[in-house]
Amino acid sequence: MEKEIKRIITVLAGICILFVSLVVYLTYFQIFKADKVKNSSYNKRLWINEEKILRGSIIDRNGKILAYSELNGETYARVYNYGNLYSHIIGYSYRDYGKSNLELYYNNVLLNTSESAALNELKNLVEPNSEGNTLKLTIDHHLQEYSRNQMKGKKGAIVAMNPSTGEIYAMVSLPDFNPSTLREDWGNIVEDENSPLLNRAISGLYQPGSTFKVVTAISALENNMYMEDYECTGTAVVDGYPLKDYDGKGHGTVNLNEALIYSCNPYFAETGIKLGIDRLSETAEKFLLNREIPFDLPVKKSLFPKKGNIGKTDVAAASIGQGKVLVTPLNMALIASGIANKGDIMKPVLVKEVISKDGKVIDSFKAEVISRATDIFTANELKNMMVDVVNKGTGKNARISNIRVAGKTGTAENPSGNDHAWFIGFAPADDPKIAIAVILEEEGSTGGQKAAPIARNIMLEALNTINN
Amino acid sequence: MLNRGVNYKIPRNLLFLFESIALFLMFMYYRNALDRSTIIYGLSLIFIIYISNLILSKIVSGDNYIFLIVTMLASIGIIMIYRINYEQGFKQIIWISLGIVLFFATYFIVKRIKGWEKLFLYYCLASVFLFLATLLLGRRFKGAINWISIGGISFQPTEIIKILAILMIASYYTNYDRFKEKKWGRYYLIGIMYLFVFFLFLQRDLGSVLIFCSLFLALQYIYDENRKLVLANIVVLMFSGLLGYVIFPHVRIRFETWINPWEYIDTIGYQITQSLFAISEGGFFGTGLGLGHPDFIPEVSKDFIFSAICEEMGILTGIGVIMLFMILVYRGFKISINQRNKFFRIVALGISILFGIQSFIIFGGVINMIPLTGITIPFVSYGGSSMLSSFIALGILQVASEELDIEED
Amino acid sequence: MFNILSLVFKYVFIVIIYMFIFSIIKLIYLDIKGIRPIPADSGTYLKLINRKDTLPFKVKEYYPLEDNVFLGRGNDNEIVIKDPYISKKHLRIVKDEDEYFLEDLKSANGTYVNGDRVMDVVKLNNGDRISVGQVEFLFVNKE
Repeated sequence: MEKEIKRIITVLAGICILFVSLVVYLTYFQIFKADKVKNSSYNKRLWINEEKILRGSIIDRNGKILAYSELNGETYARVYNYGNLYSHIIGYSYRDYGKSNLELYYNNVLLNTSESAALNELKNLVEPNSEGNTLKLTIDHHLQEYSRNQMKGKKGAIVAMNPSTGEIYAMVSLPDFNPSTLREDWGNIVEDENSPLLNRAISGLYQPGSTFKVVTAISALENNMYMEDYECTGTAVVDGYPLKDYDGKGHGTVNLNEALIYSCNPYFAETGIKLGIDRLSETAEKFLLNREIPFDLPVKKSLFPKKGNIGKTDVAAASIGQGKVLVTPLNMALIASGIANKGDIMKPVLVKEVISKDGKVIDSFKAEVISRATDIFTANELKNMMVDVVNKGTGKNARISNIRVAGKTGTAENPSGNDHAWFIGFAPADDPKIAIAVILEEEGSTGGQKAAPIARNIMLEALNTINN
Repeated sequence: MLNRGVNYKIPRNLLFLFESIALFLMFMYYRNALDRSTIIYGLSLIFIIYISNLILSKIVSGDNYIFLIVTMLASIGIIMIYRINYEQGFKQIIWISLGIVLFFATYFIVKRIKGWEKLFLYYCLASVFLFLATLLLGRRFKGAINWISIGGISFQPTEIIKILAILMIASYYTNYDRFKEKKWGRYYLIGIMYLFVFFLFLQRDLGSVLIFCSLFLALQYIYDENRKLVLANIVVLMFSGLLGYVIFPHVRIRFETWINPWEYIDTIGYQITQSLFAISEGGFFGTGLGLGHPDFIPEVSKDFIFSAICEEMGILTGIGVIMLFMILVYRGFKISINQRNKFFRIVALGISILFGIQSFIIFGGVINMIPLTGITIPFVSYGGSSMLSSFIALGILQVASEELDIEED
Repeated sequence: MFNILSLVFKYVFIVIIYMFIFSIIKLIYLDIKGIRPIPADSGTYLKLINRKDTLPFKVKEYYPLEDNVFLGRGNDNEIVIKDPYISKKHLRIVKDEDEYFLEDLKSANGTYVNGDRVMDVVKLNNGDRISVGQVEFLFVNKE
């Protein structure tokens, strides 16, 4: 009898434990997983709510309408005025394909709903929601169009921004796609080896090549470890491995300034080794490598090696922007901006204002410093060196008459294909209004030859047309 | 008699209040489509439930709580079903009323007639007969052969077999001493249970396989004298479970969908993901009756009614339902412990375990805590067979809650 | 209109359901305490003296007494005790005016009050011990 009762109680306890675990799991699910689940694009409820609301428009900094919703019978349809041009910035919003880029990350703003369902209910009680908010971007449509045309037919990215406020004037990534014909093209888009859905400006990671030398130079200046007289023979041997200049010839006796102008690899390799990986990485991180970059869209983290066994060859490679160093084009633009802006890197911004359906500005961005990368004097020194690069060195193709342009070219060795062509720069040097980074993926040519002219054209166009 | 009506007044009245408000809300929801008969039926149901609870507390000497709990569960269920589908709600009212009638009928019949524990053979034969009938006459529904249609009425034999199995197991262990003497007598039950599981497997009714196995295992654990047999049984069942996973693709699919339903969201994972959407939409308090979209879940009235409840009435109500089942099971166990008549003790245990395991399996399945199986929530899900057999089982449990004579022979 | 009602009621429903659950739990808890609480106004009852589990048949701890109570082995008695030493209709307790009287109904093994065999009718006083069959009761009359 006793045993029986004990066993009965055991079974009862077992069943009770099962039920309790149900309650626990349910609560856990609601607290931790529910929000993510709710926002899946397969959730028809998201769309039901949306269909009743007029989704907000997206306009450029001058008020030009880039995307809007129009009534199509009973429901709203999204119209993208410029197709490919904003595919990586605005993205798309479709029932069957989900949402991407700004349409995704600013979904609640565009619909004027909040994250919390409860709050929405209350709001709806007070005043039924019918229209979303408009996003005013920092983008300048004319420059965006111009920049894309400059790069037509190539693969790569361009980021053009205001170094003192952080506003992005143009962001181009090619290849791109047309969000208006997403449905028809979807098969091709997804199969395309060149990944048109990828926004290379913020998600592409490349070796920066010689453009990284500006960071090495800053590190050398700050730590007082720059060589005044270095004999460049065109090659340097590091730990038994030869490290060559681009053409292998020698540059003769150079100091830091000259080494930058002519982009002398052996100089910077030696300098990097002298600095050591710790000092180098410290400077690199001040320039946002290895760090999360706050932005209106998710940005991939750039990488600079600093942990583990780092041999001399790795350090040498890193100092000239090869090896394990990987950066996003946005990061490079921010580096240029930092040097342009007296050493302070501003937070990059894409959304300038949020305007309610009544026309009121309910939110506008505030310029914010996200890193004091270097001091004003060092920045100034680098700036002058970069002006020399454009005037006398590898960056000659970036010259603009009557304007002092600062820049740095880069030709990054690509282990899996042709070299990438880079250019970073800003103008006018003494009161910079535009900073830019251009990368031509697998261009097979030097940064000076191919990337610099593109950057020049865009900078000139920006200086001529943007005045706000 | 020590039963005082006054103790049970509070929950009875709360239930009445709940039903009235909910019904009122539903009438507002359907204000355009309302007709006289629905109003009458709705009000009648509330009336019937109130009166039954009242009558029960007066005339019955045993437990009152189980009927109270069950009517609350049924009320929550029917409000949800009515909100989702007007006609199903209507039919469900009929089922519940019939169920209550059957409950009382079962109570009186089982109480008056003696000798239930002697019918081991009949329970066996009846079950096997029903199994064969299902296999021969049955219609396939969603991959499992569950239903028999006779002359326009369709029902699920498995629901009846569940009760027969409990009676069978109870009668076996009550007369164990006699069975022991026969050759192979000790193994009769286990053999029959494997036979049943085999039939269910043929029917592809994996949910029922789980229920039967758990039920049998639990009762065997408590009552079988041959402890090694119990252990052997556990091992064999686990092993066959694994084997089943390896051999049968339809078992594997269930597991894969459980682990990552999002990958199969367009195909086999559609139902469970919709269920998860519904649950996460509701939050703790729900969206409010009529303000959510439970109809996005396919077949929502049957297995997924719990998800609909979580969406519109909140996780808290879902937890409330789980708690009600927990109390029901606890009550059943208490009834069993207090019952001196061995047959009815085992029967009470079996029915409680049945309610507990069945509801756990389906709750766990729709929230994706365990793989999904197609079985119903007792008293809550839409469906005649499930509702009627659950009330019959409850009736038997009610009998078991009273003091019965021990037959000495 | 409906929306507002639904929004308000969802909280109401949850409150009601939980009140329901808690009221049931409370009732069960009271039950668990083993002994049903004897309501204050039923002041007269028989209380079992033997240990319940020493007896091979079911018997309750308390038997409340009304105006006319029969005790015996048969099912038609108010108090049914399946003790083989108790006759089918063993004894009767009657309330007359405000006093309680016990009458032995010619039982086979007799009824004993405070050790004395009852021949016919005997008046019961608060605290009397009643023996019938193997069972012994305490007669409690608070009035």
